[in-house]
Amino acid sequence: MKKKLLILFCVSILLIQQAFAQNRTVTGTVTAKDDGQPIPGVTVKIKGTNTGVQTGTNGTFTISVPTGGVLVFSFVGYTTALVTVTGPVVNVIMEPASTALGEVVVTTSLGIKHTERDLGYATATVTPKELTATDVTNIANGLTAKVSGLAVYTLDNGVDPNVSVVLRGNRSLEGNNSALIVVDGVPIPGGTLSSIDPNDVADVTVLKGASSAALYGSEASNGAILISTKRGSTAGKPTIVYENSVQAERIAFYPKLQTQFGTYGGEGGAYVDPLTGFSRYVPYENQEYGPAYDGSMVQLGAPIGSATGPVDMVKYSPYPTSPIEAFFQTGITEQNDISYQEGDAKNSFYMSAQNVYRTTVVPNDKNVKYAFSVRGHRTYGIFSVDYSAAYTKTNISTYNDGTTNGIPGSFVSNAGANSLYSSILQLPAFYPIEKFKDPEGFYGNPNDFPDAYAINPYWVIDNSRRDIQRDVLLSQLKLRLEPTKWLDASYQVSDNFGINQERDTKAEVDFSPYAISDYFHAGNVPSGFPTGKSPGFVSDFYAYGDGNGEGAGSFYPGDPGYSRIEGDAILDFHHNFFNNNFKPSLIIGNSIRQQYLKEMVTSSNQLLVSGFYNINTIGGLINAAEDSYVINNIAYFGDLNLGWKDYLNFEATIRNEQDSRLSKAERSFYYPSAKLSFIPTDAIPGLKDNKILSYAKLYASVSRVGNIDIGPYEIYNTYGVTGGFPYGSLGGLSAGTENFSPTLKPELTSEVEFGAELQFFNSRLSVNATYYDQHVKNQTVPINTTVSTGYSTSLLNIGETESSGEEVQVTGQVLTQAQNKFGWALGANFSNNLSKVISLLPGGQPLSLGNNEYAVVGQPFPLLEGSDFVRDPQGQVVVDPVTGYPSQKQTLTIYGRTTPQYDLGANSTFSYKWISLAIYAEYRGGDVLDNGLGGTLTFTGAGLQTAQAGRQVFVYPNSVIQTGPNTYVKNTNVNVENGNYGFWQQSVWSSTMSPFVTSGAFWKLREVDLSFNLDKFIKGSKFMRGATFSLTGRNLFLWVPKTNYWGDPELSNASPTSNLRGVNNDGQTPETRVFGGSLKVTF
Amino acid sequence: MKKYILIVAIFFTVGIAGCKKDFLSQEVNPNSPSVTTPQLTLAGALATAATIINGGINFDYAQYGVWMQYWTNSGNYVPNAALDAFQINNTSFTQPFIDLYQNITNFNNLETTSATVPADANFQAIAMIMKVYDFQQLVDQWGDVTYSQAFQPSTILFPAYDSAQSVYNDLVKQLDAAISLINKSPGATNPGISDIVFGGNMVGWKKFANSLKLRLAIRQSTVNKANSAATDLASTASEGYLDGSTDAEANPGYSNTAGKQSPFWGNYGVDANGNPTFPNVYYRGNIFFIKALNSYNDPRLTSVYYGTSASNGATIGGNAFGDPQGSPTVLSNPSTSGPGPGLLISPGQNAVLFSGAESLFLQAEALLDGYSVSGAATTPATAQAAYQAAITASFVALKAGTTVSYDPATGLPAAVSYPSAATSTALAVTYYSQNIANVGWAASASNEQKAIIYQKWIALVGYNCLEPYLEYERTGFPVLPNPVSKDPTAVSPTLPIRSYYPQEELTTNGAQLAKVGTINIFTTKIFWEQ
Repeated sequence: MKKKLLILFCVSILLIQQAFAQNRTVTGTVTAKDDGQPIPGVTVKIKGTNTGVQTGTNGTFTISVPTGGVLVFSFVGYTTALVTVTGPVVNVIMEPASTALGEVVVTTSLGIKHTERDLGYATATVTPKELTATDVTNIANGLTAKVSGLAVYTLDNGVDPNVSVVLRGNRSLEGNNSALIVVDGVPIPGGTLSSIDPNDVADVTVLKGASSAALYGSEASNGAILISTKRGSTAGKPTIVYENSVQAERIAFYPKLQTQFGTYGGEGGAYVDPLTGFSRYVPYENQEYGPAYDGSMVQLGAPIGSATGPVDMVKYSPYPTSPIEAFFQTGITEQNDISYQEGDAKNSFYMSAQNVYRTTVVPNDKNVKYAFSVRGHRTYGIFSVDYSAAYTKTNISTYNDGTTNGIPGSFVSNAGANSLYSSILQLPAFYPIEKFKDPEGFYGNPNDFPDAYAINPYWVIDNSRRDIQRDVLLSQLKLRLEPTKWLDASYQVSDNFGINQERDTKAEVDFSPYAISDYFHAGNVPSGFPTGKSPGFVSDFYAYGDGNGEGAGSFYPGDPGYSRIEGDAILDFHHNFFNNNFKPSLIIGNSIRQQYLKEMVTSSNQLLVSGFYNINTIGGLINAAEDSYVINNIAYFGDLNLGWKDYLNFEATIRNEQDSRLSKAERSFYYPSAKLSFIPTDAIPGLKDNKILSYAKLYASVSRVGNIDIGPYEIYNTYGVTGGFPYGSLGGLSAGTENFSPTLKPELTSEVEFGAELQFFNSRLSVNATYYDQHVKNQTVPINTTVSTGYSTSLLNIGETESSGEEVQVTGQVLTQAQNKFGWALGANFSNNLSKVISLLPGGQPLSLGNNEYAVVGQPFPLLEGSDFVRDPQGQVVVDPVTGYPSQKQTLTIYGRTTPQYDLGANSTFSYKWISLAIYAEYRGGDVLDNGLGGTLTFTGAGLQTAQAGRQVFVYPNSVIQTGPNTYVKNTNVNVENGNYGFWQQSVWSSTMSPFVTSGAFWKLREVDLSFNLDKFIKGSKFMRGATFSLTGRNLFLWVPKTNYWGDPELSNASPTSNLRGVNNDGQTPETRVFGGSLKVTF
Repeated sequence: MKKYILIVAIFFTVGIAGCKKDFLSQEVNPNSPSVTTPQLTLAGALATAATIINGGINFDYAQYGVWMQYWTNSGNYVPNAALDAFQINNTSFTQPFIDLYQNITNFNNLETTSATVPADANFQAIAMIMKVYDFQQLVDQWGDVTYSQAFQPSTILFPAYDSAQSVYNDLVKQLDAAISLINKSPGATNPGISDIVFGGNMVGWKKFANSLKLRLAIRQSTVNKANSAATDLASTASEGYLDGSTDAEANPGYSNTAGKQSPFWGNYGVDANGNPTFPNVYYRGNIFFIKALNSYNDPRLTSVYYGTSASNGATIGGNAFGDPQGSPTVLSNPSTSGPGPGLLISPGQNAVLFSGAESLFLQAEALLDGYSVSGAATTPATAQAAYQAAITASFVALKAGTTVSYDPATGLPAAVSYPSAATSTALAVTYYSQNIANVGWAASASNEQKAIIYQKWIALVGYNCLEPYLEYERTGFPVLPNPVSKDPTAVSPTLPIRSYYPQEELTTNGAQLAKVGTINIFTTKIFWEQ
């Protein structure tokens, strides 16, 4: 079937290649009066005919017209211009129109186009220029800080970053909260967003709430992001655009580190000065609680090679660049994009190719992407066809630090497998990291690594690898019939799928008898391998699905990335009555989809030949597993739209859905929505042509949407193979630990939304404000139950949450380039989101969501709770009158929500002549952050926090001593017993959460784009029509509260599909700063 | 016009006809079966029960091995405050609670489904016996547990706790019912190889059930000699008990393959690649036990521990050595002994559920107490005979008389030579003939129970660390060092007498648990503790 589909695409493309009609022509450029910029998409028609074209990306057009004819130039937001043709060139300057407010055409659900004034809900659009200003490789990153209520979370900065897009905060406790991604009217698997070339995007519409996306059904209860891709120009003349961009990235924010103290880790004995009790230098330690650096020469590690081998003497003083910073390099991203487009009003064709070559801050990491797409549109009388095919191939090679998917990446030390970053954080400031790089050198050999408990990070990146190959095809074919003026019928089929292949390998290590003999008797890494062999490892993972997801199975928990084939049939009835005053339309449709995922994994750690990674060449048994999942869904929907005189519009939708994840009795459910919009500035004569208030729209909507947070087959209990089985032919099965029920229902999201859109001063200032309130009932939650019920968890429909908030979007044109030569626009978007758990299981306890985050009745969610010190009523820490140490409170303390409550995006655009500067900044706040990274840095002693008191005894700041049942006196003189290892490592301080909890607030300078329009310098060129050069930067600066020693609050130890944020650890590489330049040429 | 409507209609038809009738019926999970058979459930659940007691899914019961002075933790690691200093909370040592209930869930399912098929009576009976086996472990460590309201997930999410005594009383009834079910179902399906303990020999299961009943009776005997389990012993005494020739050991086909090793070997031995497991490196010989065996001239010492590989560079291979529990000055691993060749026999070794030696020691104590346990030809006639048979069974099981040769260069074991059963038996006779209190029967006169418990303590080393701990809590034997842990931060000079309910239980069934009352692990007694 897929093969046939491909052939069909190829045939369609050939058809399009027929020559377009050629005639004698008039050419010209259309520019706007307000900013002097060319306007693409202007309709140019010959007066009195239906013949017309549209301007291309540079505002240019070509049309065949009889001499003396009149051309009509029309574009929403501008006054229609009529120009009589007198010569071969017609350049037109269009004036902004005040009467055309709200006429912007917005693509809504199912690709239906509405004028903005008809919409009874909040939307936002992002133009391709805004999206790709700083050459993002993932569309989601281009949306950051640009839309109110839309939060993009970049959870880590690796070679294959995890990004999640959430609209209006979390509403489901444990289910999916991510926005639905829709491309050209059809939802795509969320994971494939990264495979779309951002340069192919024609525009992005954000449907913020459940009401606006109600037509998409259960998938869109979290709002939707509608992406329209380019279909080719309508300018009649072929256009070729080539763009090259090169960007560099550096780590922007290291945790604050101490560079005063070397290695000691509580060894005691000979490593403690008997007189002073101070720690002495320990040559093999990974913890930095030793003496201060003094520039003396010290022995590093054990003698090399044998007990009588050479001893490496190093200077006991920190390097100017810490080994931690020295490890990371500058990453380079180079993008080459080329696109070709041509077409006229009826037919169009677009083709693009992209290559992204990216190296990152971690040496050896690489991400290479190739993307190709073909899209177009062709009309044959009443019949038209629209097609799109985009293929993306991504090859990623990265280190595997064994912290993901339970794959043993590094050889296991006493302390367990360390993440790469954790190994790096264990490099004391005096370590000669240059000596670590050479695998043939001194410390490249795992036998001689000086640190007894850690491994050489260069060994990890050389010998423990993950290679990923992803092939993704997104394809669509839409057939449309317009038999009469009042009816459109269309049928659209889309098939989106990908193949994700991953190979994890780890090299065998052979330890020497000398290394195993453990020179210092420290219990070093090699002594754990008395056979001398730390085995190699190979794992192959294969998934047919969306091509990105890591799978849904028990062996690869993560984003279940399904492939998706869908057919949509739509009938659109529309007719105007009563002198076009009454505009009713009705859409009815049917949608059938199948989502499918299959994944397989094989692995072994018994390779026969060292360094030969193939599952056929192993000893022992192959570890193998497979899983497959199907979701089938049938939906019927209707959308009735009633418009009156362009100022009153009512829309009602209903959708019925039947889903295979639910049992037969619960399978079919309905969800309705109703929306109303009203334009008082048009309806009320007294408000018309007001000098101050140029436009006002009021809108309101209500909806109820179901959200199926039940995985396939999660309604009946199953049995799993008992651990160890089968033994020969003897099998064993055990009951699963989660109890399912066929009575499970979808979560029900009810939303009320109202708002206003106001434009002032001839639309130079516009304000769009929205309030929403969502209630989600039937939360589908795996409740932890006592194991004596037979199950550790029961999946139940319980509880209710509320999520409400305000969104404000303001844009203002302070100075217009047309009037002032200097253009200056300001914009801001703000959102405030309040979430609250209204009810949970009666008789139950707070619901644990993982990562120390909970749902607690009456509180926002997810809520961070954790250990704290015993405090007096004023909140001051109570310390022991003898040891000066704090003690831990028995109950957990509530710290706050872990998702930002406030999100403020601000932007400013300046333009002067041919130079423009765009700046985007973002603030997020109102949340807390549990810096798990602080725990690692306290363990290693590398964190600056641990050296605050110079490793001397000190009085615990703001502490009190309890002198009676309710009396506390300020502690002024009881020092902590030991200001070094004793306090920072052995007291309860390091095992308590509160020292590592900080505000999650930050300001980030997200994007800066300084671009130079070079068109005027190439005016004489025959084939070059436009050129732009830009200098770009992303994440240039980050400001966090002073108490945050550790890093970017945005990073999180959570999968993109998880709802947990605000908890980091050493599994995320630090935030990077990106800067570079690009050159774009149009032919 | 009609033409167009026709085309439109075709669009819709194509769309809807694309669905097969069962398009939306996806109830069948292609990844895991929603049905099982009695054979599959039995084999899986028995293997899990064997794993829990033999080192566990997460080293369950390893702490009792340290507390009963078999092991101490390695000097290569940071001291474990819960283990050495008894700084125990609701998250320490709670895994068995969860493992046992999950295991019982499977036996409970087996019992329920088999009860509806008369031909599956044997499966039903085994499930009832194994529920008792698991529930006794729960009650003995936690006291009151959920029992009568457990395993009803669709109706009772917060089951009430039953008193420990009432659970014990019902367990005895379940055992009687299981034995009677086997006796009245001679034509029932034989479990065959899915019975990985007795291979379908139902006589073995009756003996196992009877031995469990004996254990329930003896456990209560110190505080209540005339307990109901004891008075019920006579009703099934003729079925006999486990002993040196019939004991309860599971083996589904363990082999030296990752994940398929015998659980004790897999936990305390070396992995399939030949590298030591974490407990092998972590749990080292305890000097208290080593000295005790030496003072009794016990040849099982070389079975229980390997010799140390080195001490200060000098080769002293062959000498067992260890630290006391919680020692602040600890030796590194080369200077201490690891688990020995009589415990770690092979990756395919049987996993002991209930050893013959333990059953014989129970019979000895029952005979000493005058309980009615006689009636079967296999039951020893006197307490002394049972005691000596128990020691012999232990000598044979631990392969007393094992010799190990060591590589003189590295001090590591080079070859192990196991004795014949006859040799071990002869060594046992020599051993229990010694005129040493707690060894020879006559030499232990008027302290026979103490001798039985001491010898049971020695016999159960390694495999079943729970039972000696429980018997210590019941009888006070063996007399442990005072303070038992050398850790200066220890919060108690004595061992905890019970376990805390797990954190999971507090958060999922807190209201019911509150009715049980406040638990103090040093003072809140299980009903049979004196």
